Amino acid sequence: MMRKLFFLMSVLMFCAIPMFAQDQGGAAGGGHNIWIPVAAGLGMALASGLCGIGQGMAINGACQGIARNPGALKGINNALILGLVLIESLALYTLVIAFYMLLSKEGL
Amino acid sequence: MVTHEAWLTKLFNAHFAAFANWLLALFGQKADNPAEPWADFITMQLLVAAIILVLFLLLRSRLSVDKPGPLQHVFELIHNFISGEAEGQIGHDGHRHIVVFETLFIFILVANLIGVIPGFVSPTQVIYVPVGCALIAFLYFNWVGIQKRGAFKYAAHFAGPVPWLAPLMLPIEIISTLARPMSLSVRLFANMYAGEQVTIVFLGLTYLIIPSVFMGLHVFVALLQAYIFMLLTMIYVAGAVAEEH
Repeated sequence: MMRKLFFLMSVLMFCAIPMFAQDQGGAAGGGHNIWIPVAAGLGMALASGLCGIGQGMAINGACQGIARNPGALKGINNALILGLVLIESLALYTLVIAFYMLLSKEGL
Repeated sequence: MVTHEAWLTKLFNAHFAAFANWLLALFGQKADNPAEPWADFITMQLLVAAIILVLFLLLRSRLSVDKPGPLQHVFELIHNFISGEAEGQIGHDGHRHIVVFETLFIFILVANLIGVIPGFVSPTQVIYVPVGCALIAFLYFNWVGIQKRGAFKYAAHFAGPVPWLAPLMLPIEIISTLARPMSLSVRLFANMYAGEQVTIVFLGLTYLIIPSVFMGLHVFVALLQAYIFMLLTMIYVAGAVAEEH
């Protein structure tokens, strides 16, 4: 099953090879550098995915804490909100870099 | 990528352009376009400050011990909330710093929320305003620490608890302290800017229900970010003022 999946994935990847044949400058969407939207989208997706995992772990800990000790709800809520915002800000740093790339001279 | 100015900026540029140019020349700067020296975020900041001033003047004229009105109830709620948080974070000395916390909270809250009203632009959507607020927080917690412990002892607390760890702790502590205003400003700016961009993107795709859901999310995030800015400032002040019992 895994071998079939791996074979299918590699065939799909090889189908994308003709993309390298297009010329570099003035392609549709990009200004001078066609890799900027790719980098921005990929970087942002990676950052958002990992941020989602981190926030999920934080919420997991908070829910377990509330389930074990319902009296500590207020303290756990405060810690949860603070933790979520701090993890969120890491994904937002990547967003700022993505915007900086996209809105620069070589970007869109 | 501002395509048009807010109506308030047009008003300012029409009447007060000479004043702004004179003010800029005082510092040796020159506006990009001398016919339009006022930017959106400056006029909106002044508007937010004026709104807060008028609100508090109104509140002050209606203060009463026996029969508090609804305005007084609301602000007592806010003040008790911030006071409680400050006492929780900093301990018994918290009440001395409430002024800065409350000012930052109410300013950032009103500045974030004013962008939701059509025709107004949130000043915190431009990087300069959150950097200004973060610099105030940074200078404040450093000043409080220096005031409490003296400049040399405050710098010495970066070295960590044990002296032989100092060469390792010193660069780490200094870099993490310098990263604080950066993280404060980027967090606030990115949340506000992204909230507006997401609403704009969805307004371009569909209309009414989905964009208003994202606008509601933006309002919630605006409230949360104002609270978090204030909470983090409190934590930094608590770290600077902390005593080893």
